[in-house]
Amino acid sequence: MDIAEVLKHTSSDLFLPDLQATDKTSALKELVAGLASGINLKNPDTILQMLQSREELGSTAVGPGVAFPHGRTLAVQELKILLARSTAGVDFDSEDGEPTHLFFVLVAPPQDMGHQYIKSLATLIDTIQDAGLREKLMAADNYEAFCAALKGE
Amino acid sequence: MHPQLQLLVALQDMMGMIREIEEQGSELEDMGFKTEGLEKLKEAQAELEAKIDPQLMGQFRRLTKKFGRAVVPVIGNSCTGCFAQIPTSFVSKTNAGRLQRCESCGRILYWP
Ligand SMILES: [Zn+2]
Repeated sequence: MDIAEVLKHTSSDLFLPDLQATDKTSALKELVAGLASGINLKNPDTILQMLQSREELGSTAVGPGVAFPHGRTLAVQELKILLARSTAGVDFDSEDGEPTHLFFVLVAPPQDMGHQYIKSLATLIDTIQDAGLREKLMAADNYEAFCAALKGE
Repeated sequence: MHPQLQLLVALQDMMGMIREIEEQGSELEDMGFKTEGLEKLKEAQAELEAKIDPQLMGQFRRLTKKFGRAVVPVIGNSCTGCFAQIPTSFVSKTNAGRLQRCESCGRILYWP
C-alpha cells in the first residue's frame, strides 16, 4: 500500500498539531478526544480502553520518536487514522527511553477485510524511518504540509 | 451506553486483540512491535470477565461460540450479523439502559 492510499483514511479534522500531554495516560486521552471530535464518535471510552489494552501488550512507541497506537474496535465502522505531534515530547515508554514527538493512531473495525490497517501500519513505519522526513513533519505548518511531507512532495 | 454492554464490547475488543497476536503476532513483531505483555492482557481479560453479570457472560460465551462475535454493530438500522432490520424503537430502549438482542439471530446489539 502506498502512502497516498494510507492518507485517504485521515483528514484535517484528524490532525492534532501540538499535544499538551506529556505522560502516556493523558496523551492517550488527548488522542482519543481528538478522534472523537474528528469523526463524531459516540463511544470514545471504548476506544480509549482498547488503546490502553494495546499498550499493556507492549508500548507502540517503536519508531525513533514515533508511536503507533492501534487496534480494532467495534466503536468504529471504517479505518481511521489520527495524526498528532508533540513539540515538548511525551513519555510513551519507548524502547530507547527517548520522548515521543509523532503519533499515528490507527483504529479499525473488527471485520477490517484485507487487513487494511496492518498494511497501513507497515507503510507508515517504513516511511517514518527517514530522519529528514521526521524533521519536516515536526516543522510542517499545517495538515496539508504534514501530508505533503509524508508523500515526499 | 449500558454499563454491562460497555464491558462486553471492551471484552470482545480485547479477545480480538489477543487472537490477532496469537495468529499474526510475527507480522507485528516484524514491524518492531513487542508483544511480551500477552499474559498480562489475558489476566486483564479474566478481570474484565469477572465484572460481567454471570448470566450475561454465559450468553456472551454461547453467542461467541456460535457466531465468532457475540456483539455486533447496528449500521443503517441493520444487524450486521444477519442483516435483519432492527426497529428504530430499539435504539431508545438501549439508551434507556436495556441490553438489546437481535430478534432474528440473537446477537447482542451495539450502536457505534
Ligand atoms: Zn441479527
